[in-house]
Amino acid sequence: MKKLFVVFLLLALVATLSLAKVKIQFWHAMGGWRIDFLAQQAEKFNATHPDIEVQVQYTGSYRDTLNKLIVSVQAGAAPHVVQVFDVGTQIMVDGGIAVPVGDLMANDPTFDLGKFLPQVLSYYRVNGKLYSMPFNSSNAILYYNKTIFKEAGLDPDKPPRTFEEFKEAARTITKYYQGNVVGFGFNLHSWFFEQLMAAQSAPMCDNNNGRTGRPTKAVFNNEAGLKIFEWLNDMKKEGTMIETKVEDWTGARNLFISQKAAMLLSSTSDVALMMNASKENGFEFGTAFLPTPADAPAGGAVIGGGSLWIIGGHPDKEIQAAWEFVKFMADTEQQIEWHKATGYFPVRKDAVEQLLFSGYYAQYPDHLTALMQLMLSEQNYNARGAIIGAYPEIRTAVEQNLEKMFGGELTPAEALKRAEEAATRAIKEYNEVY
Amino acid sequence: MLPLLHAGGVSMRKLYPYLLLIPTFVIIIMFIYYPAGSALKLSLYKTSPFGNRTIYVGLRNFRQLFEDPEYLYAVRFTLIYVSVSVAITIFMSFIIAYMLTRGVPGTRIYRTFLFAPYAVSPAIAGTLWTFLLNPVVGHVNYFFAKLFGIQVAWLTSKPYAFYALIFATVWKMLPFDMIFYIASIQDVSLDIIEASTLDGANTMTRVWRIIFPLVSPITFYLVIMNIVTTMFSSFAIVDVMTSGGPGGYTTNMIYKLYLDAFTFQKRGPAAAESMIMFAIMLVVTIIYFSFAERKVHYQ
Repeated sequence: MKKLFVVFLLLALVATLSLAKVKIQFWHAMGGWRIDFLAQQAEKFNATHPDIEVQVQYTGSYRDTLNKLIVSVQAGAAPHVVQVFDVGTQIMVDGGIAVPVGDLMANDPTFDLGKFLPQVLSYYRVNGKLYSMPFNSSNAILYYNKTIFKEAGLDPDKPPRTFEEFKEAARTITKYYQGNVVGFGFNLHSWFFEQLMAAQSAPMCDNNNGRTGRPTKAVFNNEAGLKIFEWLNDMKKEGTMIETKVEDWTGARNLFISQKAAMLLSSTSDVALMMNASKENGFEFGTAFLPTPADAPAGGAVIGGGSLWIIGGHPDKEIQAAWEFVKFMADTEQQIEWHKATGYFPVRKDAVEQLLFSGYYAQYPDHLTALMQLMLSEQNYNARGAIIGAYPEIRTAVEQNLEKMFGGELTPAEALKRAEEAATRAIKEYNEVY
Repeated sequence: MLPLLHAGGVSMRKLYPYLLLIPTFVIIIMFIYYPAGSALKLSLYKTSPFGNRTIYVGLRNFRQLFEDPEYLYAVRFTLIYVSVSVAITIFMSFIIAYMLTRGVPGTRIYRTFLFAPYAVSPAIAGTLWTFLLNPVVGHVNYFFAKLFGIQVAWLTSKPYAFYALIFATVWKMLPFDMIFYIASIQDVSLDIIEASTLDGANTMTRVWRIIFPLVSPITFYLVIMNIVTTMFSSFAIVDVMTSGGPGGYTTNMIYKLYLDAFTFQKRGPAAAESMIMFAIMLVVTIIYFSFAERKVHYQ
């Protein structure tokens, strides 16, 4: 009889506990094997937080995720935590649907914002307020094939640092392999244009890159922009560059992995993938900072990737649970694991310290490249990168005009001018409703 | 008949069919008429991405579209894309169907192989052709390089991106038309064929003067179906193969609509574009029902 009573009590306890569990939804855009990785992280969180249950869902690409979020918000079925890409930041702020994490931090004495990298925080701060929690942060770096460099008679420990050196290296390689290998594989993505602009400390739009007020026009038709367009156009004409179709990350990676292209600009989030792929395909690769024109002023690296947003309209208890989860994902241990598994750099100082002291970077220096590029960045509005609501459309404008330039329809100067005009139109149209 | 309905008498019997139709109507209204109505409403507004700000702009979305050179280009491109791919598909499917009804040994095997692309989803078809047409590691360029020593950037240069798109579209649409043609060619009475042979008609005359006119109702049906397919379902193939590039060169109306709605978050203009496509299809349908029904030769 006693035994039965104990069993009954235990059952009751379990029942109440499971009933009391706060359930929160987490939507993310990290495809492939990263789906499992994030599911495991959420399970770890569930295990250490018995009163919260996080349900993870992969919701397609960044764009798909944002579209699903928009629909779900209008239908009143929004998730609690959602990952949104860098250029979605202004749209999210304007949408007014998020609970700014800055507010939640202020009410949480256990949380220390000082532990986070100031460069990352300053990118995600809008009007002085932190709306979302930095999670997967990246910037663009140069990948180069050391094996090919050696064979073509170039110094594998001296990656090109300037546009001029870069063009020369591409020429040497293409000539050496008689066109079977080209110097540069270009992923036709406006993100690289934006990164190369910041690297020269040049602005994308007015009002200090949108940091001191809503931008009213695009201003990237300047000397720095023209240098980038001309640099790409020269290599295309010389036949030392192959471009992919628009925003074709996989296609660009394959050019590099199959050793058809000796150099590639890509996100640091590819480092782990490239380490495996280069081993499988029997070549050595190195990473370096983005090249810039020799006479360009010092600039910096723009934060790319995504951040975690907490969506409002849920009961307080659920928002608090969501905050716990977001805190967990940005915590030291998770950030280190995420960094090692992908190449996105940690957004925390203590994570960087731990990695440094454990000798990790001595073993895997390519994991350090993007982080160093960020640390050595100038801290100004132009190097920090622009924040524009109409960014997705601006990207298409840049990409379409680059394609027209590669097709020989437009000169670099014309292409740049048209891209800027289209971007300004997009900004004005976006501003109409605000 | 249910006893309950008997009790109601004539009026209940009259209501009965409507009762049975209710579920269908509920679904049609929920998923077709209501969304179409909201699209019409949306086309008169400018909306912020999350819908928290809207301003009524009347017909300005439409006016802006007709002043937008990019949109006008997309309309022109759609016209060319639709007419070229439909014409090629109709012609080729008829020829192939005719050959397959000649009793060649192994007809069934050919038919199965030729029908296979229809079972492939447009997105998969696009991916498949993207692999084959890859400028660096694709099979098509491998053969071109071996045979003619040339390498073509099929998906990223003019005018090859257009050719590639047409090729993939025809490849995908052909089997559907072919099956219809096979069935209708087999339906053509043997007496007519025999009579024409006796009258001394050669194969060309027989095919184009007798069989082709006799299957014209099917041709009209297929033309309409193909126009609908190439207008609306070409999104996946365009997205996967060229993403509308290079430089917007292969951006057709449906892809432009997708870009505006789901990439640029401009719901108002996108809704206006869907209204324009609706109007075009309305015209096509009216032509079909008034013109085709009268002029087409029915057996």
